[in-house]
Amino acid sequence: MSVDTEEQSRSTSRDEALAELERDWGERPSLRGWFSTVDHKRIGRRYMVTAGIFFILAGTDAMILRTQLARPNATLLSPEMYDQLFTMHGTAMIFLFSTPMFFGFGNFLVPLLIGARDMAFPRLNAFGYWVFVCAGTVMFTSQLVGRAPDGGWFGYVPLTDTPYSTGVNLDVYSLGLLFLGVSTTAGAINFIVTVVKMRAPGMSLNRMPLFVWAIVGTSFMVIFALPALNLANAMLFLDRRFGAHFFDPGHGGSTLLWQHLFWIFGHPDVYIIVMPALGIVSAVLPAFCRRGVVAYPLMVLAIVTISIISFGVWVHHMFATGLPQLSYSFFSAASTLITIPSGIQIFAWLFTMLRGRIVVRTPFLFVVGFIVTFVLGGFTGVMFAITAFDQQVTDSYFVVAHFHYVLFGGAVFPMLAGIYFWLPKFTGRMYAERLSRWAFWLVFLGFNTTFMPMHVSGLLGMPRRIYTYPGGLGWDIWNLISTVGAYILAVGLLLVLIGVVHAVRRGAPAPDDPWQGDTLEWGTTSPPRPYNFAPVPQVHSLHPMWDERTTGALAIDEPLPDHRAMTTSELDGREEGVIEMPEASLLPLAVAAGILVVVLGLLWAWYWTGWYWFAGAGALLIFGAVARWLWPPERTPEEAGVAS
Amino acid sequence: MPTQTRRAGGFLLWFAVLGGALAWTVHLFVAWGVDELTCRAGNTSVGGVPVRGIVGAGVAVPALVTIAALLLAWRGWRRATAAKRDDDSPRMERTGMLLLIGLCADVLFLAIILAGGAAVLVLSPCQ
Repeated sequence: MSVDTEEQSRSTSRDEALAELERDWGERPSLRGWFSTVDHKRIGRRYMVTAGIFFILAGTDAMILRTQLARPNATLLSPEMYDQLFTMHGTAMIFLFSTPMFFGFGNFLVPLLIGARDMAFPRLNAFGYWVFVCAGTVMFTSQLVGRAPDGGWFGYVPLTDTPYSTGVNLDVYSLGLLFLGVSTTAGAINFIVTVVKMRAPGMSLNRMPLFVWAIVGTSFMVIFALPALNLANAMLFLDRRFGAHFFDPGHGGSTLLWQHLFWIFGHPDVYIIVMPALGIVSAVLPAFCRRGVVAYPLMVLAIVTISIISFGVWVHHMFATGLPQLSYSFFSAASTLITIPSGIQIFAWLFTMLRGRIVVRTPFLFVVGFIVTFVLGGFTGVMFAITAFDQQVTDSYFVVAHFHYVLFGGAVFPMLAGIYFWLPKFTGRMYAERLSRWAFWLVFLGFNTTFMPMHVSGLLGMPRRIYTYPGGLGWDIWNLISTVGAYILAVGLLLVLIGVVHAVRRGAPAPDDPWQGDTLEWGTTSPPRPYNFAPVPQVHSLHPMWDERTTGALAIDEPLPDHRAMTTSELDGREEGVIEMPEASLLPLAVAAGILVVVLGLLWAWYWTGWYWFAGAGALLIFGAVARWLWPPERTPEEAGVAS
Repeated sequence: MPTQTRRAGGFLLWFAVLGGALAWTVHLFVAWGVDELTCRAGNTSVGGVPVRGIVGAGVAVPALVTIAALLLAWRGWRRATAAKRDDDSPRMERTGMLLLIGLCADVLFLAIILAGGAAVLVLSPCQ
């Protein structure tokens, strides 16, 4: 056989293998296929789109709030409506937008970044998404019918407990967050197992991209922090509906218990939101600085130590509650010193820019915007670690300004950087550079115009969560500036949305690696094929796409066949075996629907006591669907691998 | 050299990396918990031992454990760095990186323990 014939024969066999992979991993083009897909890329995109919709809804709430506060003695909103709007704004931005949006990024990117074909538990992944959609829909629907939570996003008792909060509003809050907690926990477990067991051969811990480290750190924080919130919400629901007294001091309960439980979750949650954002920054910078992030081990150190120390700072949210001074000292020390790992990351990024050859594109601009705003938020954060200062500004607009600088600056700017950076990979299309730069400058200007004045109004004594205020207190002008800024910010965000829609519809086709990135996702097509990688990548360094050995390995003509994925060792990424991956299924949707029925049954029982049977019916549906899900597949022992 | 690699890859490696974090966690919950619960109950001692003494021990013992982890991380890191010259396998790279992380983390956690502990000398419990 001649060399040409041999080459042709090899090419044909490769094409056949790829077509087989496409059949094995692609989803059926039908409605059933749409609902039953377990592809991590589809689920990741859905997470992002759904979280984006919730962001628009919660942002609309914010615009109405700011309009109400633009002038003194305004009557656009009643106090009751204002309560519902600010509660839903905060609750949705924290629980229905930030974390799910990063779960979307993680879902789409983590398997690609580690050279895997899917998440470790694809069906659990789909289940988490459907639960998230259902929980978010229940919570926003409650707003449409005027029964939304109205006790603030951190729902302090006794205000939120009976008899101070009647109606179903706070039940929506406690049950909604419990419902959502199922999704977040499932997602976190999935991330950990995926990263620990499914990294490409050769990807030892010291070759793992920083974004992946950040997602793992976040997932561990979720696993340890979320039970405290779930517990608190379950106890609140029992107090409200079944006459328990967990938070009732009159019967031996404790109101401070709520704050402890809430903030044991709540402070790590700040990092649960910010940490993946820091990972995005570390992923974007190398592409636009043409070099890896400096001090990789110190960056990992920062991720690991922040994940741990964030659990020891919750009492700084309670410095005004009258705990013993000695108690404050432990938390003050931890709150001050957590700035060290945060500072390490900031300096590492600055040095990366200093020592790199910078190419200024929109994602890079958003990274710079992030650094400016996040550092400002960090400064005021250090101020809060000082107990005496904290007690002066607690529950004022200074706090509102601080946490928007931390959370908008620390999460939304990197998120926008990530959206522009990975848009070619998400959609296969390029964005329009000029439009996106306009978006950046409007967002940056609008953000600072909105929130900088709140520091002043806070120092002038304006409390948070007041629906209006009398004129002549010195707050008027600062509120007016904030409201004008909010509208500028909204226009900027609208341009982002227009830019994304424009890219999807009319954007130029994206090359596989438009930025010359260093990580494995750029080694796939844009958008990636259903199986991600045909040959399993062999990783030889921290920057696989800048390493000829890895890019060479990607071109090797040995596709791993069938609906299978490879597992590797936890620390060193050594090959261990091949597992069969689960097929698409409607069962995740069925279990999520069962939980939805339970939640609705428990909520409606507020009006019609007999409707607890409805919740029971949902429980039966869950039981049946889970039993079917876990039923052993009909396979030979040789075929059997890890289940879903 | 392989002997050193094995020794640095087991329990001692993880103690060197996470010992400080663990000690700080224990310090935080013991010192804060004892102070908070005892003071809220209106007492100044637990089983006859003054709160200040228990809190002091809750600072000193974790600080010593962190110092032990720090020394171990320092020694392991130097060995791993030396061994890496002869063996540039991913395993040695990974061990060296983890020990460097442990070294820095232990310093940070020791600083938090001492900063929190300094208040024990200044403030009286239940103030």
